[in-house]
Amino acid sequence: MSLAPLALFLISATAVAYFIGYLRAFKIAKPLGGVRNLAALPTYYASMVSLWALIPGLIVLALWVALDGAVIESLVKASLPEEAKYLPADKLGLVLNQVALVAQGLGDISILGLEYQAAVERQMRLTQLSRDALPLLVGSIAIISLLIGLRSVTAAHNARYSVERLFNIALFLCSCIAILTTVGIVFSVMFESWQFFQLVPLSEFLFGTHWSPQIAIRADQAGASGSFGVLPLIVGTLLISAIALLIAVPVGLLSAIYLSEYASARVRNVVKPALEILAGVPTVVYGFFAALTVAPAIREVGDAARAWGAENGVVWLANLNVSSESALAAGMVMGIMIIPFVSSLSDDVINAVPQSLRDGSYGLGATQSETIKKVIFPAALPGIVGGILLAASRAIGETMIVVMAAGLAANLTVNPLEAVTTVTVQIVTLLVGDQEFDSAKTLAAFALGLFLFLITLALNIVALRVVKKYREQYE
Amino acid sequence: MTERFQTVGNPLLEDPKMRVRNASVFYADKQAIFDVDLDIGKNQVISMIGPSGCGKSTFLRCLNRMNDTIDICRVEGQLELDGQDINDRKIDVVELRARVGMVFQKPNPFPKSIYENVAYGARIHGLTDNKVQLDDLVEQCLQRCGLWKEVKDRLHEPATGLSGGQQQRLCIARAIAVNPEVILMDEPCSALDPIATATVEELIHELSQNFTICIVTHSMQQAARVSERTAYFHLGKLIEVNDTSKVFTNPEHQLTEEYITGRIG
Repeated sequence: MSLAPLALFLISATAVAYFIGYLRAFKIAKPLGGVRNLAALPTYYASMVSLWALIPGLIVLALWVALDGAVIESLVKASLPEEAKYLPADKLGLVLNQVALVAQGLGDISILGLEYQAAVERQMRLTQLSRDALPLLVGSIAIISLLIGLRSVTAAHNARYSVERLFNIALFLCSCIAILTTVGIVFSVMFESWQFFQLVPLSEFLFGTHWSPQIAIRADQAGASGSFGVLPLIVGTLLISAIALLIAVPVGLLSAIYLSEYASARVRNVVKPALEILAGVPTVVYGFFAALTVAPAIREVGDAARAWGAENGVVWLANLNVSSESALAAGMVMGIMIIPFVSSLSDDVINAVPQSLRDGSYGLGATQSETIKKVIFPAALPGIVGGILLAASRAIGETMIVVMAAGLAANLTVNPLEAVTTVTVQIVTLLVGDQEFDSAKTLAAFALGLFLFLITLALNIVALRVVKKYREQYE
Repeated sequence: MTERFQTVGNPLLEDPKMRVRNASVFYADKQAIFDVDLDIGKNQVISMIGPSGCGKSTFLRCLNRMNDTIDICRVEGQLELDGQDINDRKIDVVELRARVGMVFQKPNPFPKSIYENVAYGARIHGLTDNKVQLDDLVEQCLQRCGLWKEVKDRLHEPATGLSGGQQQRLCIARAIAVNPEVILMDEPCSALDPIATATVEELIHELSQNFTICIVTHSMQQAARVSERTAYFHLGKLIEVNDTSKVFTNPEHQLTEEYITGRIG
């Protein structure tokens, strides 16, 4: 079934309707003494008529396309031979599929058996009917509603009102899409998580200290009991995020202060975009930078330190063990990645501090650094904290760098030189590869996703509140 | 070069607190102030009046180098405080601004407590050695600005919660806490209602016993009420300087007369 000609028809009907509506508005305006005597401008009447031509037809078309398969299927079901009617649902679905295929000429009746002939014929007939009836129906509805629209082109009817209300509704629907998508995602994740918590108790998930999501595929398989304690992942995530923030906050904040308070316009115009380029580097590039450059470098330094420690009898150095995939490497690179978030947001809030406060401070004989430390920074602090929290939720949700640089070993440790893993990395590994979709292993990914979502949601809410409070301060 | 404009009246004084000679200010290439000569007398109030954009605020900001904060602004000429050149790049602007304080058009208390606002200057200049001295200083400054009774029970609440008039008096208290010699006021009452204005004017009058005050104002009545001398600026030129009573009753220059009678402005 081809929808393109029908869509083209609707579009041209809309265009024609606009034109007719426009002319019609002028025609009824003429005896009244001009356009000024109409309740709305001619373009509004034209828009109204064209919307009448478009929308009812479009709604019918959409409903038809969405429902005709189901309607045909239920009608065909009635023509199936007696024994097929008592098949279980999945088998029945298969049979109906085959009927549809045969009807389309993609298979031979022999795969079903001759007793299905009636059903196949019915399927063919109904499909043909649907194909023929749709353009007729949509076309006549479009034309009828166009005529209805034309009838409401009267001097007294305010077309602007109708058109604007319709646009209002359209805008509202658009804004709903984002919200509904979010709600849908949350609900699907919640549903799968609920299934997971049927298999693994919530307390084990939240407070378990061991993460090893191997589930026995066969009953006799050894060494794959599976344990789902999320603590090592949380600690790993927090460790890496903390390292990232430890790097990004001072660097980002100080560069923001430099850029907004000290730098000349020329330096600022070069440095600020350059800093923001950092935000444009794909995270996968940061990832291999972390995995191939930073992590080996850290390891080499660690090895050298150990050798030196062994030689000179410094015991703690001699026992130093640096993993080739370390939290430090991932955290450092992630820190570099989120510098622009911190610096750009801080720069904005520092610039938002009114010049009058700077003047007030300078006017009392304060130096630039006193002014920054004692007036500007405290005034901008809530906004800066908001920016840092946003950067933190970005760090917690970041995946690519940690996948490549932090490793998969779910160690419960706060030693930055060891390999750790994070929530996001585990989600990736759980869902990569062939898995049954109702096993605890796969479902665990959704539980982790929900968990992560709740953490970043909480962080974002706090951040937005803080930022909002800050805004009110000067308004 | 056009011929140098000659200010009428008495711009010069014996033994002034501040001495300005040949001051010109440029914003990039545009000249905003043209060769101003003016002396500012010790413990006197001088007001600067003139139509919008005449350069009176720009001139005021030269007196404590606040124009430094504007990148494209350049000040030329000789500006002296007690005989010391203050337009010299080498002098310490921090010390200068401690001696020449400033109060701005819009009340701009810091987003801190009332107490911290007044204590700010004392802290950055190390004027007190301990908490008791600092408490005393804060109380004394608030007393002088007539604010003590109104705020003594809420010293540690945010200053931004005060009314506009209270905020402006707080800003004056904050300025005198540094114990400056000169106080520059840039339209200090233009954001205030008439009652708050009257309070601030009274305060200016009292402060003039100990401080030299330069006030820029749009209100001729205010200039007449608070100042001893008045300087009239027009398009970046200092037109006339005279005793306030003379400027408002018997101006020498035609432009001054037109301004005070409301024909330009």
